[in-house]
Amino acid sequence: MSMSQQQVQEHMMTYLESTECRIIEKSPWHVTVKLSPQADKQLTNRPYYWGFVERTGVEPETLSFTFVFDPEQYDKKEQLNASQQPQQDSILSRYFGTAPMVPQIGPGRIQREDVVYGSSRLQQIWNAARQEGSCLYLFEQPAALQRETLFSAAYEPWLGICYKVEMACDVKKEELHFVGISLVTGRIVSPFPERLRGLALSPRLPENIHIQPASISLPQAASLLEGYMTRLLAEMDYGWAEQARERLNEELAVIDIYYEDLLKEPDEEKLAAIREQYSNRRSETTWQYEPKVHLSVITCGLFHLRSIR
Amino acid sequence: MNTSQPSASGQPQELPVPLHIDRSWIEQLNSRLEKGGPWGDWRLAQLAIQGEEARLVTSFDELQCLKHLQGLSPLPHQLDTAHRVLFEMSGRAILADEVGLGKTIEAGMILKEYMIRGLVSKVLILVPASLVLQWVRELNSKFGIPAVAQKKAYTWHSDVVVASIDTAKRDPHKDFLLEQEYDMLIIDEAHKLKNKKTTNYQFIQKLRKKYCLLLTATPVQNDMSELFNLITLLKPGQLGRQGDFATNFVVGKRQPKNQDQLKDELAKVMIRNRRGEGPVHFTKRHVSNVNLQLSPEEQALYDGVTAFVKDQYKASGGNLSSMLSLVTLQREVCSSRDAVFLTLVNLSKKIPDESPLTAKVWELVNAIRAIKANTKAEKTIELIKQMNEKVIVFTEYRATQEYLLQYFQKHGLICVPYRGGMNRGKKDWMMDLFRGRAQVMIATEAGGEGINLQFCHHMINFDLPWNPMRVEQRIGRVHRLGQQKDVQIYNLSTSGTIEEHILHLLHEKINMFEMVIGGLDVILEHFEKQESLEKSLYKMFLESDSNEEIRQKVSNLGQTLDQIKRQVEVDYESTSMREEEA
Repeated sequence: MSMSQQQVQEHMMTYLESTECRIIEKSPWHVTVKLSPQADKQLTNRPYYWGFVERTGVEPETLSFTFVFDPEQYDKKEQLNASQQPQQDSILSRYFGTAPMVPQIGPGRIQREDVVYGSSRLQQIWNAARQEGSCLYLFEQPAALQRETLFSAAYEPWLGICYKVEMACDVKKEELHFVGISLVTGRIVSPFPERLRGLALSPRLPENIHIQPASISLPQAASLLEGYMTRLLAEMDYGWAEQARERLNEELAVIDIYYEDLLKEPDEEKLAAIREQYSNRRSETTWQYEPKVHLSVITCGLFHLRSIR
Repeated sequence: MNTSQPSASGQPQELPVPLHIDRSWIEQLNSRLEKGGPWGDWRLAQLAIQGEEARLVTSFDELQCLKHLQGLSPLPHQLDTAHRVLFEMSGRAILADEVGLGKTIEAGMILKEYMIRGLVSKVLILVPASLVLQWVRELNSKFGIPAVAQKKAYTWHSDVVVASIDTAKRDPHKDFLLEQEYDMLIIDEAHKLKNKKTTNYQFIQKLRKKYCLLLTATPVQNDMSELFNLITLLKPGQLGRQGDFATNFVVGKRQPKNQDQLKDELAKVMIRNRRGEGPVHFTKRHVSNVNLQLSPEEQALYDGVTAFVKDQYKASGGNLSSMLSLVTLQREVCSSRDAVFLTLVNLSKKIPDESPLTAKVWELVNAIRAIKANTKAEKTIELIKQMNEKVIVFTEYRATQEYLLQYFQKHGLICVPYRGGMNRGKKDWMMDLFRGRAQVMIATEAGGEGINLQFCHHMINFDLPWNPMRVEQRIGRVHRLGQQKDVQIYNLSTSGTIEEHILHLLHEKINMFEMVIGGLDVILEHFEKQESLEKSLYKMFLESDSNEEIRQKVSNLGQTLDQIKRQVEVDYESTSMREEEA
């Protein structure tokens, strides 16, 4: 899957806005932004500077960037601006001559950076987002009416987990599964985002609600979800793994034949070296081809959702 | 939306493959529950998921890396190679394209693909010392791979390390490296691993690696067994046992048999794209030799220096190694008086005051004073003004470079210098200036550091290096993949000087200026088994009494080289014929 410039820009803006960066200028092709301290720490790789700020308590000076999403359009526009610039300065230059434009450096300098799918900057914000959003605790925000009703609304706690499944041998394939389990009923919902669709979620505890007591503990819920995932995985097509094993066995057979004669070496010392080589080569090959499945978690959290009766 | 009740048994079902579950999240969630936070931002969590979705590898066998590589448009054969290595060869292969077809690009794409797929994170890249920085730069700039050049012991801990093999195999690095497990090992110039008994070979054999790429333009140089050794490094047994290989596939040293079968076996581990196949197109080289007549004053200096050098050589009893600075003097006198002057001054500092040499040196310095104009520089200006396009001027000497800079500027040409001693930033700056405003670049360095000047197709050799590889490197700066126009090469030489002979040798005898790129290194390797070409030339020059004698000797040398060249061509054609037949 690839991404359009539009999507890249959306991702970037989501990050910048949720980390409370100050947008200075924006066009369909670019955004100029002064980073918030949080974003600066995550993106600019200046641990010493931030260490200095924390120790001395000085006012931090965060960096500014111009992120360009459509370099072609942006350059065109910039050129247009630049060509109009000198005319405005004609009176000054008549008296002082045209001074060459000095590139701005030091504080206040705004670095330009092109951001497209595949840019390391985009990877970086995804990774930062993953770190920042790894553990959640959220409440469904009720409509305005709820505050005025007499009865408090019942809220059901859910454990939601976004799993990443990696199927690997000498090649690899991945899947994402976002699943949720109710801590009250034990009902499992997949994909969980469909249950969340249209809901406003926020860490703020809404007024006039009560949370139903959980009948399932967190560890229980976790193992139930794991069981669910395992069953899901067990039903997958494992043709890829069979093929990988075939390749593995072929490779091992080739190695075995090669070393068969060599292992008849009479000299003890040489033989030991050959044995070691042989077992290394075998284990390397297994490492390379052996099929395996890896299950990890992108994000997890407790979601308090209004019970549906 | 699927909903399901947890099954009563709760027994996890058996998977046909090992399942590894990362449960660290439970701990994290619990500890935050205890402390009451801090809690993540929902928008960021969604962004993280979208990011994962965008990067998800949804298919086992489709190249993902292209979408991640902006500004890189690989050629069809490079794409095809990457595809085959990944999906047919399972990531262990010899990339044996002929020189100039972009093996590095192929290796970079394969590495990038594995990294995107999360199959590779720890990488070791072993290359000749002179190429370390170039590799690092290419991986960083073209592929966005954060490669690091090995400098200190702790750099080994980086994920992607580029190092020279000679460093890596030595203590204390060796022991550390042998304890590691590398997801990917890449070795450039892998033909140096043809001998099983060398420490390099044994070291590589011991390294633990999952995927492995060996890059070489010349997989077979002398002996079929070299190929066998190379493949054994990668996949022992691919060509059978050593004995089987000899009986099944080898007739003479360089003569394979059962070619069809061998070719099939080789195709499983080796990819060799050839020049002239497919759409890879190189433009032509046009060579003009500009013969100049020295002015009487310049001639006087030349003769003076020549006599001086020869006298010294005789006095030293034919000891070549002590003569190097004097030979340099001889070469410099063909370039500019400035270059000679500097060397003479340094020389006079070294010899004691009362020595009779001092007088001779000052005699030469006076000869320099008499020179008012530089014949070559005048001609160069004339050439540049005629072509009226971007041009790169190569000289061997700093002093000449300085002189030319001044001289050109005085004549209203915008020019920039380029030399090996500049740091990377300055080099890049100079290149940018040359790409932009400057018409002329004056360079003293051509090799190693990868300056790519495809936008320029004129070059002037103000003086000639005596080492043909350096000449080739110079030409390679402008004549490479991506050059759209035919390349114009001007060689300046002055008649009656040693330079004339060198040019004669390089141009008429080896015909190197028009040779297909890549043939030269093979020829030189064959020739230089005894002695380097440069050294042979020094000797020849110092030991000859007359111009005629030099001419004769250079001519003999040319014949030897010509023979080697023919032999190489015959070999080349017979192998390609064989490959075509098969």
